[in-house]
Amino acid sequence: MRILRLGPLGISTHRRTFAVGLALAAVLFGLLIVALTAGKADISILDGLKASIGISVGSPGDFIVGQVRAPRAFTAILVGAMLGLSGAILQSLTRNPLASPDFIGISMGAGTGAVLTIWLIGASSLWVTAAGAVVGALTISALILALSWRRGIVPLRLILAGIAMGFVANATTQYLLTRMDVHDAGNALGWLVGSVTGRTWTHVAVAGAVLAVLLPIVLWHARALRTLEMGDDTAKALGIHVGRSRGILAVCSVLLAAGAVAVTGPIGFIALVAPALALRLTRNAGVTLIPSALMGAVLLLAADQVAQQMPDTLQLPVGIFTAAVGAPYLLWLVARSSRGGQS
Amino acid sequence: MRTRALIAIAAAIVLVAAVALSLAVGSRAIDLGTVWQSLTSYDPDSPEQAIVRELRVSRTLIGILAGAALGVAGALMQSLTRNPFADPGLLGINAGASLAVVIALSTGIATTFGAQVWVAFAGAGLAAVVVYAIGARGAAAGAPVRLALAGVAFTALVSSVTYAVLLVNDETLEQYRLWVAGSLTGRQNHDLSALAWIVLVSLAAGLLASRQLQAIALGEDAARALGVRIGATRTLVIVIVTLLAGAATAAAGPIVFVGLAVPHLARALVGASLPWLLVVSALGGAALVLVCDVLGRIVAYPGEIGVGITTAFLGGIIFAVMARRMKVVEL
Repeated sequence: MRILRLGPLGISTHRRTFAVGLALAAVLFGLLIVALTAGKADISILDGLKASIGISVGSPGDFIVGQVRAPRAFTAILVGAMLGLSGAILQSLTRNPLASPDFIGISMGAGTGAVLTIWLIGASSLWVTAAGAVVGALTISALILALSWRRGIVPLRLILAGIAMGFVANATTQYLLTRMDVHDAGNALGWLVGSVTGRTWTHVAVAGAVLAVLLPIVLWHARALRTLEMGDDTAKALGIHVGRSRGILAVCSVLLAAGAVAVTGPIGFIALVAPALALRLTRNAGVTLIPSALMGAVLLLAADQVAQQMPDTLQLPVGIFTAAVGAPYLLWLVARSSRGGQS
Repeated sequence: MRTRALIAIAAAIVLVAAVALSLAVGSRAIDLGTVWQSLTSYDPDSPEQAIVRELRVSRTLIGILAGAALGVAGALMQSLTRNPFADPGLLGINAGASLAVVIALSTGIATTFGAQVWVAFAGAGLAAVVVYAIGARGAAAGAPVRLALAGVAFTALVSSVTYAVLLVNDETLEQYRLWVAGSLTGRQNHDLSALAWIVLVSLAAGLLASRQLQAIALGEDAARALGVRIGATRTLVIVIVTLLAGAATAAAGPIVFVGLAVPHLARALVGASLPWLLVVSALGGAALVLVCDVLGRIVAYPGEIGVGITTAFLGGIIFAVMARRMKVVEL
């Protein structure tokens, strides 16, 4: 156990957690190099790295890496981190390994907001759709919190209210898809699966800004989050403001998920899988925030690489591939609980 | 016993009222006298009577069929898994049906509506088996919430495959939209009597098996002592649930929450007696679907909103109230 201190911010970490974090960062860097250099155009590693941070290496590197590959890769990294973090917070707060923003209504609300926007004013710009998604995500989250609020957030009710609202939102989305013209419906569908293609530096900036604001707040409350896992009474006895901390963390989780959805559309299963894998690697007893975020970034970037390597007839959004990763894990999780496995 | 019978009679009266509303309300309101005439002494020259006979009767029958099937399927599944959140729709049967239809459309297997019905039926049935495997093995009695979450996750998984197929095939999207939008309307000209027979036989079988199932709910030892064949009963009930949920989804399109909300309300009225619960759930499910369908016609007058969305809204509210009132047991 060691403690990293930075002013009032102290992160207590086990050696193993630290090592896992470093390893994940190394893997992420490796994947980034692959993402920048792999492809039809031949670009050296050094040129790729230079072009990705804005140093001119002449054409075609400047355009292919600087304007296409780099923004796409950084979007995947940031959104993956946001999803991993959001999932880690929710799973810890609800003490349920199946709770993640894609399953308890937040992503469904974002989808309804986006599709409603497309239905009303057309798919003119990704940003208008994104604004609709954020409004949808925040609206449904407010509804879920209001429904589950009874002298503070009760985790179990939060999940149930989330499931209920998620199905209502899904039914609305499906209905809207049948009402809009078929071209718009195609656009809406593409958005609903989640994709990082065609993302620009503006997307990277938005995702970076959301993460830059929320990450410190989350880390500030990391101790409260870990203590809350021991139960409300213990947390109270240890001087944690249970209601306030839980509220702030829940809001942060919602905002992270909403930000991620706004940039890429609802990419499923990353928020479910990343925290669990991080937990397994670090062998921590409680939530591990930074490794979860790194794991989310690794998973999404890797999934996007797989998506890009597919033959031309099977060029599908990355959301399909993250689902393919998430499915076996999900089945394993469900099967394990049947053998009386814990949590 | 007498109170339960009275409640069943009350549910039947509600259903009759819902049927009357479903026949009379719509973009063209028709008074009940004309409705009655069109049923007893049909005059094909009267346009109003023609609307009732040609459009609204079949629509109402499909609503009754789907509602009763979903209500009973939910009640049986909840009893089988001892889980209050076991609703076929909630657990991904609609997603399974959608995926099957989409695959059949994109490969050109099912081009006619008649064929699509059976494809949807097969897809829903397959999903029901998977969902049961999750419900029975994955989430035992102690973890009702996990079952619901597993259902959501299963739905997400199947939907993403559906979306993938739709994204690759543009024409399929158009046909798929027609299938989803169908709901209770747009199916008048198709012969759904085979589905109706499946539902009727399954309802009867469910009623016959309900005593054995109730005994199993008391505990397996007690059931064995009462002479119940546990394995056979379980298998039979799974088959019944699969047939009911599959037929309902094939006939009326994706509907969620009916199988959850109706047995929940019915249980509050008739208690734990499974045979009565099934009877009241069948009547109540049919009434709920019809009322939701009528609501969809009133809310969007002179157009209409599909029954799938009105049931989702009404059922979502009931589900949320259930969640609020549930006793929270924490570690």
